Amino acid sequence: MTWLYGISITCFAASYLVAFCLELTRVFFRAPLRKYLINAVVLAGFFAHSTYMVLQTQVQFAGAGLFLGSWSGWCFGAAWLLIVAYLWVRFRQPQTLAGLFVLPMVICLIGAGTWLGQELAFPANEARTVWNAVHGLSLLVGTATVILGFTFGIMYLLQSTRLKKKRPPSRLVRYPSLEWLQESSETLLLVSTVMIGVGLLSGVLVNVINQRMGETVLPWNDPVIISSAILFTWLLISLLFNLCYRPARQGRKVAYLVVASFLFLVVELGIVLYFGHATRQQESAESQISLRQEAALGKRQVGLVDREAGP
Amino acid sequence: MILQLVGCSHHLSSVEVRERLAFDSQQAFRFLKKFYDAYPRSEIVLLSTCNRTELYAAGRSYDLVPTAEEMSLFLADFSGLPPAEMNRFLFEHANEQAVRHLFSVAASLDSMVIGEAQILSQVKLAYQQAAELNQPMPLTHQMFQSAIRVAKRVASETKIHTNRVSIPSIAVGVFTRQIFERLDNKQILVIGAGKMAAETLKYVRDEGGRDIVVVNRTLDAAVRLANQFNGRAGRWDDLAEHVRSADLIVSTTGASQPVVTMSMYQQIERDRQQRPLLILDLAIPRDFEPVIGDSLNVYLYTIDDLQQECQRNRDARAGEWPKAQKILDQETGQFMRELSLRSRGPTIQRLKQRAEEIKNAEVRRLMNRLEDVTPEQQKEIEAAFHRMINKLLHPPLASLKEEGEPDANGLLDALKRLFQLND
Repeated sequence: MTWLYGISITCFAASYLVAFCLELTRVFFRAPLRKYLINAVVLAGFFAHSTYMVLQTQVQFAGAGLFLGSWSGWCFGAAWLLIVAYLWVRFRQPQTLAGLFVLPMVICLIGAGTWLGQELAFPANEARTVWNAVHGLSLLVGTATVILGFTFGIMYLLQSTRLKKKRPPSRLVRYPSLEWLQESSETLLLVSTVMIGVGLLSGVLVNVINQRMGETVLPWNDPVIISSAILFTWLLISLLFNLCYRPARQGRKVAYLVVASFLFLVVELGIVLYFGHATRQQESAESQISLRQEAALGKRQVGLVDREAGP
Repeated sequence: MILQLVGCSHHLSSVEVRERLAFDSQQAFRFLKKFYDAYPRSEIVLLSTCNRTELYAAGRSYDLVPTAEEMSLFLADFSGLPPAEMNRFLFEHANEQAVRHLFSVAASLDSMVIGEAQILSQVKLAYQQAAELNQPMPLTHQMFQSAIRVAKRVASETKIHTNRVSIPSIAVGVFTRQIFERLDNKQILVIGAGKMAAETLKYVRDEGGRDIVVVNRTLDAAVRLANQFNGRAGRWDDLAEHVRSADLIVSTTGASQPVVTMSMYQQIERDRQQRPLLILDLAIPRDFEPVIGDSLNVYLYTIDDLQQECQRNRDARAGEWPKAQKILDQETGQFMRELSLRSRGPTIQRLKQRAEEIKNAEVRRLMNRLEDVTPEQQKEIEAAFHRMINKLLHPPLASLKEEGEPDANGLLDALKRLFQLND
């Protein structure tokens, strides 16, 4: 099984890229065997992807690191969830062109993960605690659902515009029905709100626990916390608006809500990336440690001076 | 024999024009009556469907049949459109081309949805309606009977009609799936209770539609149709209420004015709370004011919006097209030959009659001069004269019958002049 260690990012990224190209050809011509080919390529990519994730987790865990706690792991995790969703859509709506919208997001996430690399990893000891795990995983699922909701929202808007302009459907590919897109977007909005909410609350809990235990904490006015709270508030308002105001559940409004949620997410991720999040905790921890060390050193030096200056 | 055709169809004119030229049965009756008053010795048939309005005129000679221009003016007068404007959308055919066009229409080769079944019954109905007003109609009778035969030949000898589709099947099958994932939890409103409504309901049921309401001006017809499809019948006065709660509306009435106006829709729009509404307006003239389609979450499709899908249907049947065209060619040629023969019949009859008269006169004169002629001998003489006449007339009559070009009446005119056979 050592060959499994030879699986690289290129393997699954290339598989998804090929699948995307095959999906793209559906727009132009009919080919009976293509759907089997797409399934085979995506499943191969999914296997490679999953294997890579598992092996990387094992390897990094052994080295006191946590793969999913790194930017690359986190991006690959989100991409993995999107591929699961894509396979589900292929099963439910085989004739639709959902792949043309979902696969680019997957490829972008893999690209972003590769580019960002391992440098901003959580400290493994922190990430391994239950609440940290809940915090990271719920945010991961929340992010994936927001991205998926965005693709569904875009599909809804395109399909709705096309129908308003009375363009007949293509014989080769078609969009999912408006009803299906709307219901799926609503579900994703609910799931993403819950997951981002759990992520935020668990993050707050982690901070409080750390504070009580005298560990390093993020200040409550940290841009990352504020932007996360804004994202969650937006999702919550969207959800409540959607639940309480009936016309909001109809048609394009749901699509607009999920697309706007994605934009909030992009801003939020940008802030996290710019200001740092876990690493700031790490840096903060390191700076506190160094302060303590300096303080201890200072004490020792003072002791030495005292001793030197002693009677 | 003169055949004249003026009309408009989905090929050249939009739904806006066609609905101006659409006739319901009462309007068609009034139109035909007015036409007969103006041209009492011509035969006329008006074919008006959702995709075409065609006026066929026939007569024994040009002076009995209105010109294409006169027919256009009649149509313009009815529609209220300026003749100059309307002429942009009208086409004209005469004689063989007119016959070929009718055959093509009856065989559903000229339909928006190639191979659809409704057109043949509409052709039959158009002829019956005209015949009720003006009996006899020998030319158009022969023409429409032949058209029905051609339609049956095309249906049986080609695969044009296999996997038959229709406007309702395309409307329901293609457009509902774009908007709704399922129909079993949707309220479906059918406005109108005619054949198209019935056919549409068949497809709605096939797609899973269960909650069906049929609304028609005549409640009895609505009840009958609703019972047929396990639906409910609604009163015409409650139309707005039904529109308010509907998810899918199929409208197929023969109303000459929109049955749902924008002002009516605005009154119920608020209560709908922007719930998506798919309207398939298959009626000509349209039942829904087009501006309703601009409302939020309303998807309004008319017959013309199905054009592209119909073109695909046409392309799918392209392989069978040459066979159908061959049948049309054969039948048109055959019809024109028969028609031509028929038009020469009176001349031939008169020629034979003239020859018979001459023969009889000469036999009488000879018998008066001859004496002691036995009855057997007289019979022999008469038979000899008869054979001589027949032998003399046979070559010219055979040439006349074999005349290939139906319109080339040169030989017939020559015969008339040579033998002085005036009408």
